[in-house]
Amino acid sequence: MLNVYLFLAFSALWVIFFIYAWSLSRRQRRLRKELEELRSSLEGGRGEWKSDVRTAEGNSQSTRKT
Amino acid sequence: MGKKLPTTLLIVTLAWMILASGMIFLYAPQELTMGEVQRIFYIHAPSGWVAGTAYFIVFLSSVVYLWKRSPLADDLAHASAEVGFVFCSCLVVTGPLWAKPAWGIWWTWDARLTLTFVLWLLFASYLMLRSYISNPERAATLAAVVGIIGFVDVPVDYMAIRWWRTQHPQPVIAGGEGSGLDPRMFLTFMVCVGAFHCLFGYLLLQRFRLAAARRDLGALRRALAIRPSEE
Repeated sequence: MLNVYLFLAFSALWVIFFIYAWSLSRRQRRLRKELEELRSSLEGGRGEWKSDVRTAEGNSQSTRKT
Repeated sequence: MGKKLPTTLLIVTLAWMILASGMIFLYAPQELTMGEVQRIFYIHAPSGWVAGTAYFIVFLSSVVYLWKRSPLADDLAHASAEVGFVFCSCLVVTGPLWAKPAWGIWWTWDARLTLTFVLWLLFASYLMLRSYISNPERAATLAAVVGIIGFVDVPVDYMAIRWWRTQHPQPVIAGGEGSGLDPRMFLTFMVCVGAFHCLFGYLLLQRFRLAAARRDLGALRRALAIRPSEE
C-alpha cells in the first residue's frame, strides 16, 4: 500500500510545479497580448500619420492653386 | 535560439522525469528501517541540489551584472532566483513529510534545517526586493548584492551535516567512510538529480526568455514614447 506521506510529498511536488508552469504560461500570454496591442496601436498610428500627410498635401495643393 | 531548443529540452525533461519516476517506484529497493517513506529522499535531495545550483547561478550572474552592468546577466539572475525558489519550496515541503514518520516531528531547528530555511528566505527576499523597488536599475543592483552576500549560506548549508551533529541524517553521498547507498538506490538517485536539473534548465530557459522579451518590450515602449518629442 502506498504510504500517505509518500503520496503527499509527490502530490505537493507536482502541485508546486504545475502552479509555477501555469503562472509562467499566464505571464507569457499577457506579454504576447501586450505585444499585439503595441503592434495594433503602431499600425493605427501609422494610418493616422498617413492621413495627416494626405491632408497636409491636400492643403498645400489648394494653397498653391489659390 | 528559436523554438527548437525549448521543445527538445521539454521532450528530454519529460522522458527523464518519467524514467526517474519509474525507477523510484519500480527499480529502487525498499529501505529496511524506514520502508516506503524513504522514497521521498529521491525527490527531496535532488530539489536541494537544484536549489544550490540555482543560487550559484544567481551568485555568478550577480557578480557579472555588478562588474559589466549586463542586463542579460541580471535577467539570468532573476530567472534563476525565481525557479530556484520553486525547487527550494519543494525541498522545504517534502522534508517535513519525510521527518514526521521518520523522527516523529515535522520540524526541528537544527543547523541543516535552519540553514535551508534561511536559503528559502533568501530566495523569497531576493524576489520581494525586486518587486518592491520601482527603479529597475536600483532593484537589479540591490538584488545583486543580496545574491552575492546570500551565497555564503549555500556551502555552509551543504557542510552543516559534516561540521555539526544534527538531527538531519548524515550524508550518504560523499560522506566518507561508513556512508553510502545501495548501488540501485545510488543509480536511482543520480537519475533523479539529472531529471531535476533538466527540469530546472527548461524552466530557467522559459523564464529567461520571458524576462528578455519583457525588457525588449519595455525598451520599445520607451523608444516610442520618446520619438514624438525628438521629432
